[in-house]
Amino acid sequence: MNEYVERVAAQLQARYATEPEYLQSVLPWLTLIAPVVDRNPAYERLDLLTRMVEPERLVSFLVPWTDDTGAAHTCHGYRVQFNSAIGPYKGGLRFHPSVNPGIVKFLGFEQTFKNALTGLPIGGAAGGADFDPRGKSNREIMRFCQSFMIALYRYIGADTDIPAGDIGVGAREIGYLYGEYKRLTGLSESSALTGKGLTYGGSLIRQEAAGFGAVYFLARMMEDAGETLEDKRIAVSGFGNMSWGVCRKAAALGGRVVTLSGPDGYVYDPDGVATQEKFDFMAAMRHSGADRVEDYARQFGAAFYPGKKPWEVPVDVAMPCATQNELDVDDAVNLLANGVRYYVEGANMPATTPALKLLRLSPQIRAAGAKAAGSGGVAVSALEMVQNSLRYSWSRAEVDRRLRQIMSDIYDASVSAAARYSLGYDLIAGNDIAAFEKIAAAMMAQGL
Amino acid sequence: MSFQNAYLNGLMERVVSRNPAEPEFHQAVGEVLQSLDSVVTAHPVYITEGVMECLVEPERIIKFRVPWEDDAGIIHVNRGFRVQFSSAIGPYKGGLRFHPSVYEGIVKFLGFEQIFKNSLTGLPIGGGKGGADFDPKGKSDAEVMRFCQSFMSELFKYIGPDTDVPAGDIGVGGREIGYLFGQYKRLRNEFTGVLTGKGLTYGGSLARTEATGYGLCYFTDNMLRDSGRDFDGATVVISGSGNVAIYACEKATALGATVVAMSDSNGYIYDKNGIDLGLVKQLKEVERRRIRDYTLTHPQAVYHEGCRDIWQIPCHIALPCATQNELSDVSARTLIHNGCFAVAEGANMPCTPKAVAALQEAGVLFAPAKAANAGGVATSALEMSQNSMRFSWSFEEVDDKLKTIMTDLYQNAKSAAAAYGMANDLAAGANIAGFLKVADSMLAYGLV
Repeated sequence: MNEYVERVAAQLQARYATEPEYLQSVLPWLTLIAPVVDRNPAYERLDLLTRMVEPERLVSFLVPWTDDTGAAHTCHGYRVQFNSAIGPYKGGLRFHPSVNPGIVKFLGFEQTFKNALTGLPIGGAAGGADFDPRGKSNREIMRFCQSFMIALYRYIGADTDIPAGDIGVGAREIGYLYGEYKRLTGLSESSALTGKGLTYGGSLIRQEAAGFGAVYFLARMMEDAGETLEDKRIAVSGFGNMSWGVCRKAAALGGRVVTLSGPDGYVYDPDGVATQEKFDFMAAMRHSGADRVEDYARQFGAAFYPGKKPWEVPVDVAMPCATQNELDVDDAVNLLANGVRYYVEGANMPATTPALKLLRLSPQIRAAGAKAAGSGGVAVSALEMVQNSLRYSWSRAEVDRRLRQIMSDIYDASVSAAARYSLGYDLIAGNDIAAFEKIAAAMMAQGL
Repeated sequence: MSFQNAYLNGLMERVVSRNPAEPEFHQAVGEVLQSLDSVVTAHPVYITEGVMECLVEPERIIKFRVPWEDDAGIIHVNRGFRVQFSSAIGPYKGGLRFHPSVYEGIVKFLGFEQIFKNSLTGLPIGGGKGGADFDPKGKSDAEVMRFCQSFMSELFKYIGPDTDVPAGDIGVGGREIGYLFGQYKRLRNEFTGVLTGKGLTYGGSLARTEATGYGLCYFTDNMLRDSGRDFDGATVVISGSGNVAIYACEKATALGATVVAMSDSNGYIYDKNGIDLGLVKQLKEVERRRIRDYTLTHPQAVYHEGCRDIWQIPCHIALPCATQNELSDVSARTLIHNGCFAVAEGANMPCTPKAVAALQEAGVLFAPAKAANAGGVATSALEMSQNSMRFSWSFEEVDDKLKTIMTDLYQNAKSAAAAYGMANDLAAGANIAGFLKVADSMLAYGLV
């Protein structure tokens, strides 16, 4: 491999040995974009790679808050402003006990490249806190969000950094965060956050966008292979916002999502998660905060497999939509043995490095990564920013049409970049290369 | 210079005595006042309410030191300028020029002219200009970058998307805008449309490159149609082979004309079959070679050393797109003798005053640079619109808007000239139409 790429990889491993998710996200990426670096020796002269794989800025802060009994707690908050070469920083906030600097850096890194190919002017960022919203009251959530925003507000803004939701941060949290931001700044600066409610600057389709985008991407892959979603069986993990959108759009296009999963196990529903009642039940399960999927099995008489993952079910399509590293080599072997033909990532980095390599290189499977297929959410976030800037709202149909077009453009950019580097049909490498080329061009133009 | 209006005579004297040793500025003010002679007589309110007195005095001039280090470690100090001339109809807007000839008088002259050109586009942009007496010629990329960074470290305090939006000019192209933008973003931690002429990966507009040349042809087309002619079947001579010339050639050809000659600073080519623009683009935009090499693959074409004689080629329409004072009264008489019926200026001031007089006297349609090449700055303003929306238009959308702007601009200049007894003097009409919009806004604000 390229000597400069190897040097950057070695430096990262030495410096960030305690941040495994960050390294797991960056190191395989470096091998995929190495051919571009080979062709552009100027990158090394301006040390482009170091400036691209490390964040421009990492802000960390304490978030003190009181629970309903009056007891004080202290959480750790972060915002990583990863890359602003093509637009203001943009990425979600995650509230989950696992959040630490390595996790937000991995998310910010992925976000940078995900955002680049949406065709909209947004840089990359991520943030969050090691706060666990599970079992918290509305008041507790509100107090936490207010304290979090008091620490964060001085670093964000419509032209600087625009946070959105992620795991543990949904419409309720965005509402509290935006209210506090507005109060602190005295500005009704609606495009300082996205994922807002429809009454105060949100966009139609924003809730559905992540899942719809992933299915649009899958449909585009199938179209290229001369197939449609009609009667295809899909295994989905998770039961959150992404999974909910996938179930809805897959059903609309004739496919059937037959599994959902949670920390407690997975459910198998051979009829498909395909009715309004089931969609609504999913949403209610998520809002309950119980973080348990077994309730679905009980409600609809589906089979529940405690402690297991859905990757053992024979399906046409596998779509991991839960969280990072939920799919390991054993799962990948299962998928291959069961004849799965499409692998489409909804969650960020859901597969371990060896599992992804196995799937990516198997001739039996067409694989798409989260940086491409998972970008529907942020694409519509950026469209929410456009509408806020216009001080005008688009219809449902117009946002949906633009989303579908964006997913199709990302697909085309990935296919053509892979072809330019003689990689055959490799959507994952093609996507990384196309996004890298765009950001590299902007960074080179802007100098040190 | 003398005026029929006595007040203007006094005003001109004051401009000369208050701005000693700035002949370019005197000339620019004199030329505009000449066009306004009958306007202020008809509307004395512009005099009594102080509009004229304020108009010739910049709202603000900033002059600053720009220290930088060359590759050998030697320190240099240049002078930087920004003239914020008029914000009556929008934020200050105008280019930055890096050239050894830059001093206060030059930027004031350019800033003054910019007020009227910008007003004429119909878009909300005021007038400004700036630059430095820095010579980019022979400097390394790294030196240019360090200079731009030092320049911006001072300038950033005075500019912003709602305050002042610089662009390029001589010595400031895509490379310099990139470095300037990168430094601004780093200093402010904001990604905004603070500069125009940006690269496509970080907020630039499609069709910006083509805009001046296309706009020139749209303007000329309007002018031709007004007297019952058009490009279709016409023989066209274009001087130059830079951006303006290349895209003027492309559009003129698309409109049915045959472009038979183009030039560079060494000489010109004559190809009676019509210029092969693909080859010219290859030579000039890709390989950076001389235009003489055109004949290597096109032996039917003839190369002539020296540029002046290009106007001896018989043509219907002449588009001088090379440089100032390239078309003399002698050349004008040759064009008239050969049956040329229209001359449109793509470059800034390519026709000498005597040439303009000769053309107008002979009844040749004449499109002055101030109006005819305003497509460039108009598209800069469209770049600002897109940045404000956080969204990009397609090439066709930008091109359509440009076409409309050039048509409106032609109509406004023509009717303003006619309204004040200077029919067919589009240069005077452009000054008048531009002036009225600015002056009426100033009246509305009172003394500010």
